[in-house]
Order: sequence, then structure tokens, then C-alpha cells
Amino acid sequence: MRVLVVEDEKKTASFVRKALQAEGFAVDACHNGDDALAAAKSTPFDIIVLDIMLPGRDGLSVLRQLRERRDATPILLLSARGEVNERVEGLNAGADDYLPKPFELAELVARVRALGRRGGDNKSPVLRVADLTLDTLTRRAQRGGAEIELTAREYRLLEFLMRSAGRLCGRMMILEKVWDYDFDPGTNLVDVYVRRLREKIDARFEPKLLHTVRGAGYLLKAQP
Amino acid sequence: MTIRKRLTLWYAGVLTLSLLIIGLGTYREIDEQLRHAHRRAPAEHAISETSEMVFEVGLPAVALGLLGGWWLTRKALAPVSKLTEAITKVHERNLREPLPHTGSGDEFDRLTEVFNAMLARLDDSFNRIREFTLHASHELKTPLTVLCGETETALRDESLSPAERERLVSQLDELHRLARIVDGLTLLAKADAGQVDLKFEAVGLDELVRDNFADAQILADPQHIQVELAGCEVLKVRGDRHRLRQLLLNLADNAVKYNQPHGRVKMGLRRTDGMAEFTIANTGAGISPEALPRIFDRFYRGDLAHSHTMDGCGLGLSIAQWIVSAHHGTIQIESAPSPLTTVTVRLPLSS
Repeated sequence: MRVLVVEDEKKTASFVRKALQAEGFAVDACHNGDDALAAAKSTPFDIIVLDIMLPGRDGLSVLRQLRERRDATPILLLSARGEVNERVEGLNAGADDYLPKPFELAELVARVRALGRRGGDNKSPVLRVADLTLDTLTRRAQRGGAEIELTAREYRLLEFLMRSAGRLCGRMMILEKVWDYDFDPGTNLVDVYVRRLREKIDARFEPKLLHTVRGAGYLLKAQP
Repeated sequence: MTIRKRLTLWYAGVLTLSLLIIGLGTYREIDEQLRHAHRRAPAEHAISETSEMVFEVGLPAVALGLLGGWWLTRKALAPVSKLTEAITKVHERNLREPLPHTGSGDEFDRLTEVFNAMLARLDDSFNRIREFTLHASHELKTPLTVLCGETETALRDESLSPAERERLVSQLDELHRLARIVDGLTLLAKADAGQVDLKFEAVGLDELVRDNFADAQILADPQHIQVELAGCEVLKVRGDRHRLRQLLLNLADNAVKYNQPHGRVKMGLRRTDGMAEFTIANTGAGISPEALPRIFDRFYRGDLAHSHTMDGCGLGLSIAQWIVSAHHGTIQIESAPSPLTTVTVRLPLSS
């Protein structure tokens, strides 16, 4: 998969590039809006990571231009302003996701991965990771044939983690998808919920499925 | 004593004094005439006539003079009362609205002008401080992004020793805390500058409270704190759903953080005097009376020892207060000597 990183801050561009390359993406980088438009025209990218605050033509303008010329490449917006209205404005202008700065690198990588898989999501009503199953129609979770009781929130958390199985999920991403929070409430809500969920799905079973990646987020997968 | 009263008294004193002098003068004049006239019979009559004149004409003149004086001073000082009234309404947020001035060019008009110029300068200073905070928090975000990113990149190195890894993780934790502080500051700076757009809609506050109750139970669980929901009336308010959730979660998080193991948290929602009243009370050390008035101040940690152990950003209650006032509500905290610390939020109901 080929990613275009548009970021004028060289150091940020550099570590984003390294992180994405380490995850197996091919990464091109450019540092202003006009170069980004030119690059997107000559090369078909799978994902574009686009900073809003760029010298000259800003990120939102690049985004509008791309959408105007019917370029539907998934776009993840980055912004240091982190305004709610900016997020809404970006998504309305055709962005696929939005991440305020400073972000966690793992969070960024997770979101880029999620955008890469877009459309290819598991559509089956029964989600399965190892011997853990979640029926999204009956909302029943089972592991090793035993029924697992879940609260509504735990269910949403498990469903989200299972749909992103094998991919790292950052805290902000979980807050956004499971709690519908568009701000960081500064609590350890996610960690405490994950701990509870772990007690229910992992405590009495082997192998452990729900893993913590310190300083980054959580990961649900069969092999650690 | 107000200037008006003092002026009236002085004016009355002057009037009485002049009347006395006039009376005395008249009396002497008459007396002298009498002596020259070699005791004529109608002289007694003239004296009584004069005193009659003093009572019948002089007294009403005094009364009229007093009334006139009162009216005069009142009229003269009316601009002062108007100015006072206008100045009481001056607030950090309406510095841009000048006080009304009459344009008559008198002393008070000049005073109003000077005052307006001072307000404009104050407004300018306040704006500079706000802009400074806003710019500072934006400027901090770029290096913070780089620091977080590079630390995370360093952590990916497989050859790190456990001690090195531990150090980097601890640094990253602090960086994330710093990022939260900067986020909080940005939000408050924007709120001060009136740049935060809230999306007002009819919100079922009871649903948000129930949701918050569930989250609070989870947050409280590791410390074996009991959370109870004592009543939750179905109430609708006009507000921004996200911000109201942020407010409730913030208060619940505090109630758990500043609690004791095996403590209690009690929350409730009810209608009082046409307002929605949300209360949340918790056991714990409480807040001393000295700390209470400053508890909503930014970065204020009070006398509590938590400042070292708690990882909050020190802006939670300031943000809570902003959210409440943006919804035209009130928030107050009561604590010691009561064993419970109680936060009460009142929000206007949606009509």
C-alpha cells in the first residue's frame, strides 16, 4: 500500500514516514499543498495523510481540490488546532478521518491501517477470534462454548476490538468509536473497561486474546 | 453621606443663615426707626406685622428654596448615578461596550470619555493575554507532536534494555500529560475568546446521567468505591451533548479520584424551581474552607496532597465551570465540615 504524507514540519514527516514504513507501507512525503496535488495526480495513492496547516495552500483546500477532481483516495487529516468545528468541516469536505495533534504514533498508524481496510470490513454477522465469537445479531458473546455476559458498553467495546482484530487500537480511537467522545476526557475510562472485559473474556481461558501495548493502545488477536 | 445629601444640607444652611441675617437687619432697621419716631402708638403694630411677614413669606421661601436645592443637586448629580449603574455592569467579557455618554461636554461627560478609554485599554490587554495563551498552546503542539512521535519511534527499537524502555515509557506518559494540559489550555483560551462553537439541541439529561452513572461505576470499581444513583428524573435541557457529557464525566472522575478506598459516590438528577439539578457527592478528604473559593481557578490544586499523586491536568473544574456557564447554568461545591463533598449543577430546562 502506498501512502502520501503531506506535512510541512520535517521532523513530524520523518517519524510518521518511518513508522508507516515499519508497518510495511510504501511512503512518499511532501511539504506543501501544491506539491501534494501534483503528487496525487501523478501517482495513485491508497491513503493520504494530510496536515491542515501548510504554508501556502492549506490542507482543507488540498482536500477540496482532490474531491473536486473526483479523487476518492481515503484521507486522514492532521491538525494542531484541534477544533471541533474544524473536524466537522474536514469531514464534510470529504475527509475520512481526523486526528488532532499531538497524536500518538500508534494511533496514527492504526487509523491509516483502518482506512486501508475500508470497505473490506468483515460483514459477517458473527465475528470470530480464536475460540471467541460475537454474534452481532443476537448480541451474544461466547468463548470455548461458555456464554459471556456483557453490559451494553462492554459489548460495543468488544465488537469494535473484534472488528479491528489484529490491528492496534489507540485510546482516542476507542473513545471515539465506543463512547462517541470527540475529546480526550483525561480519565482512564478505556483502560478500566478493557481490564473488565479482559476479566470476562480472558481470565479463565487460554490463549490470552486481549493485549495491552503500553503507551499505545490495545490489540485483540490470537497470537501475541 | 452622599454628595447630594451634603450639598442639600449646605444649601439649606446657607439659606437659613442668609434669612437670619436679613431678619436681623430688618429688625434693627425697624428698631432704629422706632426710636427716631419718639414712641408712636402704631409702632408695636409694625413689629408684629414684620414678624408676620417673616413667617408668611420667609418660611415658604425657605421651603421652596430647599425643594429647589434638592431638585438642583439631584439633577446635577444624575449623571453620577447613571455612570455608577453603567460601571457596575462592566465585566471582563463586555469591555468592548463603551459606557453611554451624553455629549454635553461637562465634567461627567469628560469622566465617561476617560473611563471608556480606560476600558478600551483593558480590553486590549485582556485580548493580548487571551491571544497569547491561544498562540502559546498552538505553538506548543508542534514540538509536543515531534517529542511524542520520536519517543514512540525510539520505543520501537527491539534492542532497548528493560530499564531504558521503562524510562522512555515514563517520559511518554509525561508527554501525554503535557499534551492534555495543552489541550485544556487551548479549550479555555478559545472559550475566553468566545471562539468555541456549541451545538445547542434538546438533550435528554437523564440519559446522559444514566450513561455517566455506568461509567462512574466502572471508574470506581478498582478502588471498591460504591456508586449510587439516587433518582434520575426525565428532564430535557437545551445544550451541547458532547460538552454536557464531558462535564458529567469530569465531575464523576473527580468524585472517584478524590475519594477513599471503600468510599461512596452518590449522584442524582431532579427538577427544582424550573431548573434541572444534578448533584454528585463523594466521601474523601474534602476541601478546606480556605481552598473552596479558589477551587474553580485554573491549575489550582488547593492544600490537597493529591497534587503529586494525581495525574489530572489541573483544569478539569475550570472546564466544568465554563461548560456550565456556557449553558446559562450554575455550579457550586460544598464540602467540610460536611463529611461529603457535594457538587451541584443547575441548568435551565428546555422549554
